[in-house]
Amino acid sequence: MRISDIGMRFGGLWALSEVSFDVERGSVVGLIGPNGSGKTTLMNVISGVYKPTTGEVRYAGKRIADVPAYDVCHLGIARTFQIVKPFASLSTRENVAVGAMYGRNGAKRSTRASFERAQELLEIVGLARVADRPAAELTIPDRKRLEVAKALALDPDVLLLDEVMAGLNATEVEEALELLRDVNRRGVTLIVVEHLMKAIVSISTTIVVLAEGRKIAQGAPSEVLASPQVIEAYLGSRWVKRQEQLKEIEAQRAEAMRIQPPEATA
Amino acid sequence: MSTALRKIGLGGITGNRTALFISLGLMVLLLLVPTVLPGYQTLFRTILCFVALAYGWNIIGGYTGYVSFGNMVFFGLGTYCAALLSARGIDNLFADVGLAVVVNAAFAAVVGFPVLRLKGHYFGIATLGTALAVTDIVGNLDIFGGTGGLKVTQVDEAHFAIYYYAAWLVAAGAIAVTFLVARSKLGYAFVAIRENEDAAAVLGISATKYKIIAWAISAAIAGAAGAVYARGNGFVDPSIAFAEDFNVYPIVMTILGGTGTVAGPFVGALILSGVNETLGHTFLKLHSLFFGAVIVLVVLLLPRGLVWLIGLRGGVRTWIKSLQAYKA
Repeated sequence: MRISDIGMRFGGLWALSEVSFDVERGSVVGLIGPNGSGKTTLMNVISGVYKPTTGEVRYAGKRIADVPAYDVCHLGIARTFQIVKPFASLSTRENVAVGAMYGRNGAKRSTRASFERAQELLEIVGLARVADRPAAELTIPDRKRLEVAKALALDPDVLLLDEVMAGLNATEVEEALELLRDVNRRGVTLIVVEHLMKAIVSISTTIVVLAEGRKIAQGAPSEVLASPQVIEAYLGSRWVKRQEQLKEIEAQRAEAMRIQPPEATA
Repeated sequence: MSTALRKIGLGGITGNRTALFISLGLMVLLLLVPTVLPGYQTLFRTILCFVALAYGWNIIGGYTGYVSFGNMVFFGLGTYCAALLSARGIDNLFADVGLAVVVNAAFAAVVGFPVLRLKGHYFGIATLGTALAVTDIVGNLDIFGGTGGLKVTQVDEAHFAIYYYAAWLVAAGAIAVTFLVARSKLGYAFVAIRENEDAAAVLGISATKYKIIAWAISAAIAGAAGAVYARGNGFVDPSIAFAEDFNVYPIVMTILGGTGTVAGPFVGALILSGVNETLGHTFLKLHSLFFGAVIVLVVLLLPRGLVWLIGLRGGVRTWIKSLQAYKA
């Protein structure tokens, strides 16, 4: 998947500009950035919900913007929503089955096969215990799981996950990560938006950092997090300046020590 | 259906089972009307037409969630299909119903392209507008007999029961179609659109396509009801074909019985027709007041209809609790 020169304007505001990066097959791309940096907007562009003002997202030789919203999943791209959207009156299992019926392999699946697939996925994401409850009755963490199950029901090659771990406790985050690793091992490319730095570092092969709608860094998790621009974006320029000042003071002190070692005066 | 299948949730979105069985039982009993209660044949034939109309409305308004106020137009066109065939000397119920189904499905698909882009109130108003426009067009064209109407050839009185059975078949067909839709992938596409069109699109459902399918099915059922009604009535003019009753009653019936269920429209149609008939004789015009009261009470106390009430376990307390949940 190639994301090139994406710009997205809402009225007078550029939510995204000149964002480009490639997503390798089978990789896990972590998309991070402070609040309002354009992560969800980018997810919406990649999944075809928004048509970008400039640039394009190409996947499997097609421009996503040219594909109608309901056909994006047939290309092999699935996504979850940060603000969950279950079909409230349907049961949890039915919610997932709808994905299995109309997703990528839906045309080949009978109603029965779709329900069986839904049941499998519910067991994988840990929702089998509430399979027959109306989706409206699910707790928030369960709704997040349901989003993942619905997206997986589309049999995607690329899965976009928008803050599926928000609101989960430490154990649940560990379970979710294990689930995502498992999905990735089956050959599904993941693009993950998450605030939880620990989680994203542990799962991503590449991290892309957005700030104010621009890409400010890209690379392996450890090097990206050490980058001064990223630290500045997260902790503010004053913090960075203070660090620099401290470093300078430290350097001056070291210099002073070198010229006049304390032992010499003694 | 095996219990194993039910365990994995393959029951579909048919609604309460008990209500469905009761409805099917009553439907079979209705077959006896011409032999047991010949005097009430006309009344029950009309009721069966309302049953079919309610089922037609339920597909678009109940399952797909697009509240149409224009389904009478399909009923009306159905009646004229029969009248026009009759005017050309073709007197065959199968031809009437066949033509009505084809014409209405096609008409709904064509009108649906622009109209189904609208949502909520706008869709409702557009359907009502379409219905009023078609009423005026039909009333002013000579081929439709203008406001003077058209005569529909009938069989002789001794064989009148045939119209009753035709209406029964159309109603039964409407129930069967609804049941099949609710058990199939199609039904789930409709409900997904009702619950959240954007989320449905993400799962690969083309909202436009399935809304048009839903409306075409809805229109075909209403048209078939119109065709047999016209034959039974023997005469068609705009005030009969496009009567407001055929528009409003099916909606109220479906809401009373339970939208988006297989038994709901039948339960609602039977109860309201019965009450309407009794009150209509006693109070004449006042019965429309009763309809208004029913709408208000149902919306307030039974937002999901009688069928849902039958399936409710836990008595009054659960009912009040779920009402609060519904309003929240």
